[in-house]
Amino acid sequence: MHDRYTTSSRRPSRPALLNPSSLILHPFALALALLLLCQRAPAAPAFDWESSLVYLEVTRKAYEVFQPWTPKSRTVQKNGLITGAREILTTAEELSDRTLVRVQRGGRGKWWDAEVVWLDYHANLAVLTAKEDEFWRGLKPAAFITGKLPNEGLQIVRWRSGNLEARKAEFNQFLVEDARLSFFQHLQLEASTEMQAVGWAEPLVANGKVAGLATGQGGNNARFLPASFIEPILAARKAGKYPGLGFFPFTWTPVENPSTFKFLKLPGDPRGALVVEVPATPKVEPNLKPRDLILQVDGFDVDNQGYYKDPDYGQLIVENLGSRRKFAGEIVKMKIWRDGAQMNLDYRLPKLDYSVKLLAEQTFDQAPEFLIAGGLVLQPLNIPLLRGFGEDWKRRAPFRLAHYAGGPPSAERSGLVVLTSVLPDPYVVGYQDARFLVLDTVNGQKISCLADVQAALEKPQDGFHTIEFQRGDNLRRIVLDAAQMDAATKRILERYRIPAASHIAVKP
Amino acid sequence: MTIKSICSLLAVLALSSLPTLAADPEKAVVQIFTFAQEADWDEPWKFGQLRRSSGTGFIIKGRRIMTNAHVVSWARQLMVKRYQDPRPYLARVVFVAHDCDLALLEVEDSLFYDGVEPLEFGPLPKVRSTVVTYGYPAGGEQISYTRGVVSRIELQTYAHIGNRSLLGVQTDAAINPGNSGGPVIQDDKVIGVAFQGMPGLENAGFFIPAPVINHFLDDIKDGKYDGFPSAGIRTAPLQNAAYRRKLKLPDNDKGVRVDSVVPGTPAEKVLRPDDVILQVGKHEVGSDGTIIYDGNRMAMAMAVQEAQHGQSMALKIWRDGKEQSIALPVEVSGTDKVLGNQYDTPPRYFVYAGLVFTPISLDYLKTFGRGWSDTAGAELTYELFYRRQESPKTVRIEPIVLSTVLADGVNANFRTRGRALVDKINGIRIERLEDVIRAFESPSNGQHVVEFLPKNTFECIERESADKANAQILKTYGIPKDRRL
Repeated sequence: MHDRYTTSSRRPSRPALLNPSSLILHPFALALALLLLCQRAPAAPAFDWESSLVYLEVTRKAYEVFQPWTPKSRTVQKNGLITGAREILTTAEELSDRTLVRVQRGGRGKWWDAEVVWLDYHANLAVLTAKEDEFWRGLKPAAFITGKLPNEGLQIVRWRSGNLEARKAEFNQFLVEDARLSFFQHLQLEASTEMQAVGWAEPLVANGKVAGLATGQGGNNARFLPASFIEPILAARKAGKYPGLGFFPFTWTPVENPSTFKFLKLPGDPRGALVVEVPATPKVEPNLKPRDLILQVDGFDVDNQGYYKDPDYGQLIVENLGSRRKFAGEIVKMKIWRDGAQMNLDYRLPKLDYSVKLLAEQTFDQAPEFLIAGGLVLQPLNIPLLRGFGEDWKRRAPFRLAHYAGGPPSAERSGLVVLTSVLPDPYVVGYQDARFLVLDTVNGQKISCLADVQAALEKPQDGFHTIEFQRGDNLRRIVLDAAQMDAATKRILERYRIPAASHIAVKP
Repeated sequence: MTIKSICSLLAVLALSSLPTLAADPEKAVVQIFTFAQEADWDEPWKFGQLRRSSGTGFIIKGRRIMTNAHVVSWARQLMVKRYQDPRPYLARVVFVAHDCDLALLEVEDSLFYDGVEPLEFGPLPKVRSTVVTYGYPAGGEQISYTRGVVSRIELQTYAHIGNRSLLGVQTDAAINPGNSGGPVIQDDKVIGVAFQGMPGLENAGFFIPAPVINHFLDDIKDGKYDGFPSAGIRTAPLQNAAYRRKLKLPDNDKGVRVDSVVPGTPAEKVLRPDDVILQVGKHEVGSDGTIIYDGNRMAMAMAVQEAQHGQSMALKIWRDGKEQSIALPVEVSGTDKVLGNQYDTPPRYFVYAGLVFTPISLDYLKTFGRGWSDTAGAELTYELFYRRQESPKTVRIEPIVLSTVLADGVNANFRTRGRALVDKINGIRIERLEDVIRAFESPSNGQHVVEFLPKNTFECIERESADKANAQILKTYGIPKDRRL
């Protein structure tokens, strides 16, 4: 995990695609658009992308963050790439909570039912298939560019309004930045293009091969998962040996100060990335320690800015070596400087897991959890909930809630539960203004998850439920009548037309 | 008819319908011209540009002028002019109370007081009664009078300090910039001091009423101003039948529950969570935490604010199913100061080898700009506002930041360039600014090591070169002294 002071974390924003059913074009405008398209598009690509690129339509459930019992439907379209026998590759984004996936060939005509056969949200990759043989007739797999990226001839290809659109792209750089759907950093490719609304798994192609899949766009710069990131994952998956991605959970910082190297007793030229923080979770043994200098990783020398020279991609930050053709559980060989001496460290890459943080980064494929207890609306505090305050939730969410983000779980608390609102009822008179309070205990039991709340509510004390919130500049304690809670909950569900009192995921 | 003549006419019309006054109060109303220079909280040895502003004041007994604290804050020079008198007189601040936004000035030249009848103070006005404001608002040179009614009386946030709520009176009499510090008069008596408006509210101005003014005047009788005390507790309404039953209280509208006790306050010794406060002084406390004060329902804090720092309040509380009487000592909170806006006292700092250390305060955080509490200042915000609540045992008396690094060869390779919370220097935990100095003076292995929170980053600097560079850096950056303690 890279020190936030050392790089700017730029996540390209991407306009959402419109559902074609909501897009009504005037016939004249359509003709004009097609004319312009014909004039502006470069020469048709040599490769027959029509037979390798398909169009996907995903319908999925979405939820009102603060009324999680209210599902909504959302439909998006994106691109899919034929990469093998009966296999369509796309990005994992927008595939969570799916209810219907359909695929179309040739950019128009019949939609075929498709299903996801494999998916990794951290890698932002998914493989789909369609059952019917007819769909696959005439489709052929595309190949990835495994070697050096050609200097010229890059194009972005996609289906648009029933036509294959190909636009020139210019390579900008390889860089290591935040994953689209996860909290680690990995290799990405940036290319500039005049194509707009890129980011829906459009392939970046050259010489009839695939250089990457688009994940987003900021201005004229589009981001891609490079083929060299995708291909080893697909190969390992095909071989049945894909354990998931690993990552570096520690924080390091560049060192420019010669005095710091002197303090660390490192002789010779300044070099190495300085480890400043090593979280307790995930467990890694043997592990780095704060004030270790990482001098070399898998044979690559690390400079004092934390960069190594990648033979394929130039100067990259050391973070990339946690996912460069390596997966979770594999060893990364490090040379480190510790306590005035050099030593070797076989660092076993921990597996990416959203639960290593106190607040889960994502909650894919599970309806949001909630519990309504006598009008108290309780929800797990996680990043999706904070996103309910808007894209700029770090500024708009209550400070104390937002400040929990990024923290590690502790031995006594693996997660947090927050009272998000109180549904007014005579049962909760006096508490109706309480909201956004993090639970500490219920009936004396420490609370990490909604299941803890449920269990604690089974054990009232002297006929009362006592709910304590975490210390702070806020309400600390409320008390409810235990005997009346069930009846009050039932009444409240009816009054507010809420279908169920809870949705709590079963933990494995 | 010119605008000036319209104004004159309005003033005349207004005057003709004013309540009868025994004397001409305007003779005691003065215009105050302030030339002020605020401190720079990011580069704490500096001061900002000289700012000129004006406000209003009025002469009271004892040859003093009462005005708002915000009229005279950071003043380098104060001048006052009497009604219809062209001559300016130099004035100085004798007492200033930033929490209640009041100040007393005096003019050395005894001529100033000649022929002026000082104004006297009246009681808290009644809601719906008529009041008249006197002042020198923007938009003209002459004194201005506005009349209105008392709209409501309750605790209001005092914008000058920002983190205190004291008794305030809302009126529909126009109170505009320049009115600040002017008297609000009813039945020949000053019943308030105009002090603030509220953005978004039309026809609403606020004045500081007599109970607050009297508290201030009583406070300074010993020659120093202490401020308004707090009870040291947080209360929560006790309106849920189940909670009342648990505490064995009758299901009525009396008593507010102590939800938590502020660590480090005298309340820790006499109150505990789930005590129920039934009465403060002579005021019965409702289940929503309010009292009736002079016919107005308002927060219980009003009763506490009647006491002076260090006094005790008589409380009736409900504990363990019984009524008890206790004495609650009330004090002015020391930490309130850094959590609110600060004035007149420039920030403490220490500069060594171009590293500028200063305490965290709200004023310091505000130098980050509008979004000061988000990403850039989140850790510092937590340290200042939340740590003392959540983990009082880990609180530092005066958290210190490395606010900036003044570029010089000796620190050019520092990666941390400022806005970083200091944890330790040369192994010494930094509790307050004096610790920074002590740590740099303590023996080390030829190097100083400065450690930061929350990421445990650190920077090293060679002691010998730092010592050598120090004087030159101060000179280069025009810093007159390396410290202000």
